[in-house]
Amino acid sequence: MSDVDTKKVADRYLKREVLGEGTYGVVYKAIDTKTGQTVAIKKIRIGKQKEGVNFTALREIKLLKELKDPNIIELIDAFPHKGNLHLVFEFMETDLEAVIRDRNIVLSPADIKSYIQMTLKGLAFCHKKWVLHRDMKPNNLLIGSRGQLKLADFGLARIFGSPDRRFTHQVFARWYRAPELLFGAKQYGPSVDIWAAACIFAELLLRRPFLQGNSDIDQLGKIFAAFGTPKPSQWPDMVYLPDYVEYQYVPGQPLRTLFPMASDDALDLLSKMFNYDPKARISAQQALEHRYFSSGIPPTEPALLPRPPPKRESVNSKVSDFNPLDAPTVLSPPRKSRRVMPNREGLEGNIHLSDRMDDHEYETRQTADEKNEHVAMSLDFSVFGTRPPSRPTINSADRTHLKRKLDLEFQPEED
Amino acid sequence: MAANFWTSSHCKQLLDPEEVDVVHPLDKERGITLEDFKLIKLHMANYIAKLAQNVKVRQRVVATAITYMRRVFVRRPMTEYDPRLVASTCLYLASKAEESTVQARLLVFYIRKIYPDDKHKYEIKDILEMEMKILEALNYYLVVFHPYRALSQLLQDANMNDATQVTWGIVNDTYKMDLILVHPPHLIALACIYIASVLKDKENTAWFEELRVDMNVVKNIAMEILDFYDSQKMITDERMSAALIKVKPITPQ
Repeated sequence: MSDVDTKKVADRYLKREVLGEGTYGVVYKAIDTKTGQTVAIKKIRIGKQKEGVNFTALREIKLLKELKDPNIIELIDAFPHKGNLHLVFEFMETDLEAVIRDRNIVLSPADIKSYIQMTLKGLAFCHKKWVLHRDMKPNNLLIGSRGQLKLADFGLARIFGSPDRRFTHQVFARWYRAPELLFGAKQYGPSVDIWAAACIFAELLLRRPFLQGNSDIDQLGKIFAAFGTPKPSQWPDMVYLPDYVEYQYVPGQPLRTLFPMASDDALDLLSKMFNYDPKARISAQQALEHRYFSSGIPPTEPALLPRPPPKRESVNSKVSDFNPLDAPTVLSPPRKSRRVMPNREGLEGNIHLSDRMDDHEYETRQTADEKNEHVAMSLDFSVFGTRPPSRPTINSADRTHLKRKLDLEFQPEED
Repeated sequence: MAANFWTSSHCKQLLDPEEVDVVHPLDKERGITLEDFKLIKLHMANYIAKLAQNVKVRQRVVATAITYMRRVFVRRPMTEYDPRLVASTCLYLASKAEESTVQARLLVFYIRKIYPDDKHKYEIKDILEMEMKILEALNYYLVVFHPYRALSQLLQDANMNDATQVTWGIVNDTYKMDLILVHPPHLIALACIYIASVLKDKENTAWFEELRVDMNVVKNIAMEILDFYDSQKMITDERMSAALIKVKPITPQ
């Protein structure tokens, strides 16, 4: 696309009101003149930054380009305009936090089933694609005009799956953080998203955040007060976690007492999602196959779900966390707590450093890779940039020999 | 293997060799031949690797950067997208996309260190402007899969752990060609293992036959790699300079 095309793309969207300030720029409402669709455009400020396209924004672009699913926010388009990068998302009317918070809304068991099913479907898709969301919370679950719930804000998400990958444990808003993260686990998997989904499930049942810790220690205390201090038999790897400390034993309460209104099936699923041992915790796909979804009352059709009247705030995530005039009874923890790690972003001088903290894998992998690199490319480096490297490893004689062997060994398959 | 290649944008974007070997009309006007085109991309791949060695990033970042650079030149003319700036910026973007960010000013510092005499001094702002253009040229697809990931597992399975270094070297060399734009990474890995096994005189035809892959494709990739090794012996300094001079941006006097 040349500059001419760029202009056309920018002209394609009719800018409407500002929806709010996002994590990395302003969010506008706009009309796509090509489709008539209402969209939300995130303008990523570049000008003021010396590090080009914001790292978090880039993560989001990278992953959303790979994730196309009915339960994941769609990145429709991206274009540069006047030196800034613009991301075009489908427009979402509200989010799950607004639904939970709205006192005028009654959520029936079928409604709750529908919301948590859509949440798990979105998660299952991410996990199938080896993407961890790492920031699951009601305010990142957006709700569209026909009631469809979609996972949004992939700014903390990461691809996982290579062995021994190490990540930062400073992810998720605290109230949604799994116990292994609170104990400092660096190697973790999709089960961290499941714990958060379980917290959201509980929040739908209770209409308030379930485990509201005000520090990491307190968060663990809240978890243990609810489910009892885990015994090593329940969670064998716990004692090996970096920040493990022994907690005084508390017995915990029966789930039935905590969630008096929930069905037996709902409680059974909840207990499997809240399993202390990440290895034994139910997967998103398994959760979707749980009898909670297949028996009893069927989940409400998304279009029939109760939701608050559309409002300007709380659209497309990060648009202002709360309006003080709303006097909300339920709030997500302050935004800052979700990125607790200092120097994570913003401080350009520390980007490299923080990334090393982020990926402890970096150092080990680097040495391993470097070793290989030297073996592989050292031959080339002596002549790099001057002329193409010669290859002492494979000479003409080898090649003839190789070619002959290559030709002989495999007869073309006739199908 | 991490992430699912078969449903990825990388998989959907694989091209036929005929689509890759097209010199942009604007480049043709400047007298750039297909051979020049390949030589310049080879030179830039080497340049990225050299720059990467200075700024110290993982091999995967290098591989991703070279893939970005090659994808850009499938669609954009070299005479308008200064290859050296594209190459440097691809490394910058790849370092971010692969979660090991390198600061733009560090990159600029090393570009100057490597080419102290170069007339074209790149500033941070040049890199940042080009970053936007590259994102657009890539259509914002940033996830790239590489043969490295499958390599150690396959080598172990083939009982060829002793050939790790030589195979890894061959895989590195495949980035001097356009293979990553054309073939699924695991087949490239297999082709490299195949060459290594013949080179090391390992008899593992049976192992290859047990794999559920089309060995003809693997064989063809291996042949292409060998052809490349052969052809690059013929490249002289003069030939490379002649190609590079054609894409030198015209500097205002």
